[in-house]
Amino acid sequence: MRMTSLRPVATLISVVTLAACSSRAGDPARQYGPDPYLPEASEYLLPPMSVPKAIDWKAGEMPTVSAGLKVEALATGLEHPRTLYTLPNGDILVFETNGPGTEAFRPKDFIAGTVKARAGAAGKGGNRITLLRYATGDGQLELRTVFIDHLHSPYGIVLVGDTLYVANTDAILAFNYVPGTTRITSPGVTLTELPAGRLDHHWTKSMTASADGSKLYVGVGSNSNITENGMDVEEGRAAIYEVDRLTGAKRIFASGTRNPTSVAFEPQTRQLFAVVNERDEIGPDLVPDYLTSIRQGGFYGWPYSYWGSHVDVRVHPQRPELVAQAIKPDYGLSSHVAPLSLLFSEGQHLSPAFANGAFISEHGSWDRSPLNGYQVIFVSFVNGRPVGRPIPVVTGFLGKDNETVHGRPVGLALDRGGALLVADDVGNTVWRVSAIQPGT
Amino acid sequence: MLEQKSSENPASFNDLRVEQTRRSIRLSRSAAPLHRGFISAGAVLLIAAFGTDYIYYAAALWQWANFSAWLITAGLIVMLVAVLLLLIDLATGRAGRLNTISFILVAAAASLSLVNAFVHSRDAWTSVVPQGIFLSAVSTILLVIAGARGWTLTISRATGDRP
Repeated sequence: MRMTSLRPVATLISVVTLAACSSRAGDPARQYGPDPYLPEASEYLLPPMSVPKAIDWKAGEMPTVSAGLKVEALATGLEHPRTLYTLPNGDILVFETNGPGTEAFRPKDFIAGTVKARAGAAGKGGNRITLLRYATGDGQLELRTVFIDHLHSPYGIVLVGDTLYVANTDAILAFNYVPGTTRITSPGVTLTELPAGRLDHHWTKSMTASADGSKLYVGVGSNSNITENGMDVEEGRAAIYEVDRLTGAKRIFASGTRNPTSVAFEPQTRQLFAVVNERDEIGPDLVPDYLTSIRQGGFYGWPYSYWGSHVDVRVHPQRPELVAQAIKPDYGLSSHVAPLSLLFSEGQHLSPAFANGAFISEHGSWDRSPLNGYQVIFVSFVNGRPVGRPIPVVTGFLGKDNETVHGRPVGLALDRGGALLVADDVGNTVWRVSAIQPGT
Repeated sequence: MLEQKSSENPASFNDLRVEQTRRSIRLSRSAAPLHRGFISAGAVLLIAAFGTDYIYYAAALWQWANFSAWLITAGLIVMLVAVLLLLIDLATGRAGRLNTISFILVAAAASLSLVNAFVHSRDAWTSVVPQGIFLSAVSTILLVIAGARGWTLTISRATGDRP
């Protein structure tokens, strides 16, 4: 009885202390690998944030690359370039794209809009795919042309045989592709629709194909941070779909993946992997974004829990029976790095160190102070499993003051010469990272 | 007898009372405090947020939590206008000095609501339960008491009476 009467007082005290406390971010290195350090979840009046100001790269400025590599701008002046894709003839496709935009539901959404604009994330996408052609080795463009126009927030792409599949935010379109073609004007045939709708919060639809080409796999993000837009709009969201390539029939292959922004098959084991962006606003070191193998029928926690069975109290009603099944991801990338692209190296020539493993672009976010991510890393694989610590490959997107940002890495691709291409959607540039040739 | 006395002494006690009351009525008509209507309007919005918080608590339907966030934001904006008008009232002599108790009630409710606006900016359940609905309940109690005292945060200049 006495305890009950004290509860309102306790609540008031907790409100006041929350206003005063500020969580300090720890070393991101504690959160790499299979068993990341997970602090207690906090709730804030004002979550820790740091919004870097977007400032254009000046002439001659470019990202920093690790020893033995060089970097050059392959194409500049693009409209919010995101996904990159290499066609068999060496042509590079650049997706100039951004989200379809969402309405403001709450006072907070107006503030979020201001934040995005400052950080250079509000750039209008071109809603098109641009083709780049160059002779391997020199990085001098011979051709830059619009390949497919009038798309609807496209993100995923995969070529199977002579059919090019493009994942708009609301549907997979199939285009007939003739090798060497530089422009497709046909409208494309809808293979299947994808969860989108009026509210389309995590809009990217990442895509890959199975080795035999019979199935497509599509990453579909949640429609909120943590169900604040209601459970109705989460129907069919935060999941990885398997789509039959011939019929378009689809089913949920795995679920609970909050925002699976890239899906790819590990070349050695043919195991499906994904990078997933985890939830925000419960601390600078929560929740680590991750790289994981994706099991058929697996549930990866969102929204009810994170990193296995750590319950998120912001979700109501809770689902203990689902939390009990939640799979721990394979490999933590540390918190708020926002991995957007997963690219297996397949024994390429950039450096012997990068022969077996995956490049991951970390777009970075503003949900942490100090900022984390804003780089391209490499994670080594042994026997089809991620091991060791990530190696930074391309950095220097942030200003030295850690308060300005020149670029943010998104799409990754390897060109036919083995150079790593990096799309930068703040600098509106595609960077080409290649090995320094002996004697140059 | 009385008439005679008053004509003899026009500044008699009774006449003074009558004249003072007339002036007081005139003053209260022509120079009603500007802030009062805005205090009550802001309070209605903040009290309504307790209602929408309660429905969210009972039904867990997300839109009710959004209603609360908007009501608290709007309530605070109207209260900000009320504060500016209160300063004008005090500066121009449209109202007397502050009524300490009413002022503290409304100031406390507005301060808690400001904290509550941030609590409501969280995502999903904990934007309301438990801290958000607790703050809106306390604000509601304070504002209802202020309402029962007549919404005016000042003491009438003419009479010195409490409103």
